[in-house]
Amino acid sequence: MRDKRSGELPHWPLHVFALLMVGITVYPILWVLTIAFSGGQSLSIADLPPDPSAADRLRAIAPWPEQLSIENFRSLFADQPFARWLGNSVIVATLTTVLGIVLACTAAYAFSRFRFPGRRAMLMSFLVSQMFPGTLTLVAIYIIVVQWLHLGSTYVGLVLVYATIAIPFCVWMMKGYFDTIPRELEESALIDGASQATIFFRIILPLAKPAVAVTALFSFMTGWNEFILAATLMDREAMYTGPVGLRFFVSGYSEQWGYFAAGSIVAAIPVMALFMVLQKYLVSGLTAGAVKG
Amino acid sequence: MSPTDRPASLSRRFTVAVAVASLVGVGLGALLLDAARGGQQRARAERLAVVSLNALTAVVDRVWGSEDTKEGEGDFGLGDELAALEQPAETTKDPGAAIRGAVDSFAAAHSEAVAIRVVALDGARLVASTADRAAPAPRRLSVDEKAIFDLAQSLRAAVAGNREGAEGAARAEEIAVERRGGGLLSVAGPVERHGVVVGMVQMETRPAAAKGVFAWLVTLLALIGPTLVFLLLSRVAGERRRALALVGAALVIAALALFGRTALGTLSAERFATEEAVAARVAEEGAKTGLSPAAWDVDRFRQPQPAPEAAEERDLRRMTRSVLTLSVFALLLLAYVGFGGARRSWRAMVDYHVAYAYVTPAILGMLVLVFFPFLYGFALSFTNANLYNSDQSVFDLWVGLDNFIDILSDFKFAQRTPEGVVYDYTNFYWTLGFTVVWTITNVSIGVSLGLILALILNQRGFRGKAFYRVLLILPWATPTYITALVWRGMFHQQFGVVNQIVQIFGHAPIAWYDSPLTSFAAVLTTNGWLSFPFMMVISLGALQSIPGDLYEAARVDGAGRWQQFRSITLPSLRPALVPAVIISVIWTFNQFTVIYLVSAGQPAGATEILVTESYKLAFEQYRYGYAAAYSVIIFLFLLAYGTWQNKVTKGTEAIAG
Repeated sequence: MRDKRSGELPHWPLHVFALLMVGITVYPILWVLTIAFSGGQSLSIADLPPDPSAADRLRAIAPWPEQLSIENFRSLFADQPFARWLGNSVIVATLTTVLGIVLACTAAYAFSRFRFPGRRAMLMSFLVSQMFPGTLTLVAIYIIVVQWLHLGSTYVGLVLVYATIAIPFCVWMMKGYFDTIPRELEESALIDGASQATIFFRIILPLAKPAVAVTALFSFMTGWNEFILAATLMDREAMYTGPVGLRFFVSGYSEQWGYFAAGSIVAAIPVMALFMVLQKYLVSGLTAGAVKG
Repeated sequence: MSPTDRPASLSRRFTVAVAVASLVGVGLGALLLDAARGGQQRARAERLAVVSLNALTAVVDRVWGSEDTKEGEGDFGLGDELAALEQPAETTKDPGAAIRGAVDSFAAAHSEAVAIRVVALDGARLVASTADRAAPAPRRLSVDEKAIFDLAQSLRAAVAGNREGAEGAARAEEIAVERRGGGLLSVAGPVERHGVVVGMVQMETRPAAAKGVFAWLVTLLALIGPTLVFLLLSRVAGERRRALALVGAALVIAALALFGRTALGTLSAERFATEEAVAARVAEEGAKTGLSPAAWDVDRFRQPQPAPEAAEERDLRRMTRSVLTLSVFALLLLAYVGFGGARRSWRAMVDYHVAYAYVTPAILGMLVLVFFPFLYGFALSFTNANLYNSDQSVFDLWVGLDNFIDILSDFKFAQRTPEGVVYDYTNFYWTLGFTVVWTITNVSIGVSLGLILALILNQRGFRGKAFYRVLLILPWATPTYITALVWRGMFHQQFGVVNQIVQIFGHAPIAWYDSPLTSFAAVLTTNGWLSFPFMMVISLGALQSIPGDLYEAARVDGAGRWQQFRSITLPSLRPALVPAVIISVIWTFNQFTVIYLVSAGQPAGATEILVTESYKLAFEQYRYGYAAAYSVIIFLFLLAYGTWQNKVTKGTEAIAG
């Protein structure tokens, strides 16, 4: 029999590799921080002399600004309409979450607790709908929302679209959780004379609080980060959401990388923190969905 | 339900079915007919107004022209322009007085004209107006009247564009028609001198309310006739299901056919009335103005109106199609009610009303904003809908499978020319090939990097696990659009940090988006950066759930490291990795954000994937129909892939849950 240690690889090359990967993952984030705190709008970290040496070039990639300044953050809120765009995102994402949760909870409860004609077909259609390419429905959604309902560049239009698009994922996730709540609870409540509504609101929902919270946070993040629909449906500058506004800073002939970097940090930090807390739920939800789909 | 089940109710149920089918079928038909009539009456009012407008324009044109020739030496366009240049705008001789006189006498002869304005583009002047009593013409247009000036400008642009426009290009309207509140109709047309639009004549009219006959008697007969006749005939037919269904279907179809004929007659009469009214108006205007009314009855593009026969034929075609559609719908309704489907549905609704109440809001939302858009997009893919004809119905734009044939039969993605092989990057097969390569490389990179890192972090006694894990997961937490824009900045040719690194190694800066290969490298790096953490987390979870005794036992049996990896680690990873790979294939295949924001398809669409290409077709080229066909093809690919992977993972039984 071999020695126990001989089967192990030495750890230091693994550390080197892991550290290299950490460098690659962290560098773009440090780069954004550098640009944001540089106080300027330039893409480059340092101005290069006409005939730069290798040391100059190294300086130009080192993620530390030439001078530290919070001017970009101040100006972002004082001179640019970013507060307005962020506010739009807050409103849209919050309303999406509320509406999405109401729609998903009720439907998921019915799918979990009742056996009724059409149940299987509905659940299947939810899954198939996940396969519809966004661009196919996008043209029709644009025509329906903007040309027929005249809801272009309004909160209502975008919220309705976000909330419905999130339904299948939320329903499958909530249904999975409802399935784990024992039926005996409801049966004894029924015997005690409670109505269906009472059971749902007083017994099931309080028990499902963790699932509701997780689903809510995920729909909030979807509404907060979504880009394509917002860019398509919100074409008035005052109605831009955060993502559309951030792209506005660096698209076309506009090269305001300082504003973009500062805005990205403001917009991304809350959702990144949320994500770090919630990622283990997301993983289980996604893989469960994939196995079923 | 067997035929013998409650036989007494069979004829009664079919009577209800016939009543429902004929009421709904003919009722909808009546609504459609009313809408079509309304459309015809509006079209008539518009044509009449345009005739009057053209008469007015001709009058104004004549006066404007006489002043013009008096002033200039000859009829040479250049001379006019020079003359205008030499004299300041203020002192240019204003033909206004004569125009105002002409407009006033025209208005006096036309009681239905509420307001007439003549605008000169040069100097944005209001030359004549019968409406603005408070600030009478001539004067400059005020800031509040910017809309009027803009209208004149747009007419000038339309005329100029149509003259220069290539053959077959979408034409712009040269006569602007706008419906205002209170039954007002505003029409405006350009005034031209020497082929250049110099002004605009705008007229607001209040058309006389249109009267028309509606065939009430026939409609009523078609509505309730079938039910009455069926009541009689059902006695004869007895309680036989097939006989009852056939009699009912025949009656409903007969009623719809009768209604269709009548409707066609109504529309024909409307059209005849329109032609008559227009002819009368043309003659009347000719007499009033003493001018030749040759080209006054024109459409919005100032092209002659189509012959009435062609319109008649189009009406017939539409009516046939509507009646056929309605018949199919009515027969389905008849069968649904007659064969007991409606009753079963109703019973289900009552029995399971709690469940349905819970799911209805979500289902309604999905129907309106997910399933209907899907079907609508599907229908669009058989049309040539674009920005300019989106007000027409899907049926009028129907082109069958043309879009699909266009997309799929074009294999010319590479062409041999004297300078070498030239690729057409917008070709479907190039884009498809690129999408497949993009998906495979990305998923391979994601899986291998994620797996390697997971294996490293899972080493026994590996220090700093938590530290590495938190930092390595950051790309997944970063919103994708931010990641994409950041990497675009870092790949900037002149200022990006990537090129700074390249230059440290003595290489010239690379124009990343100028060649397909480097552009691919840029998008691949971006997507690789953001996609490996997902695989790492999944693999790590699976690795940690492998019991340590398995390895212990293997070691006791003398298995080496590689053997342990192959027979313990890999099989245990499979159940977690397979779904993760499946889902990341779909994500990558549809990875819109990275491509759209990083390379934007550069160069020349070489790095476009299917979804971004279809987005550009729809929202940059506005070819809605073609883009929809493109998306349908994407959907079919995904559906095929989904079916295949479903078979592979045998995951379907989980759905029944």
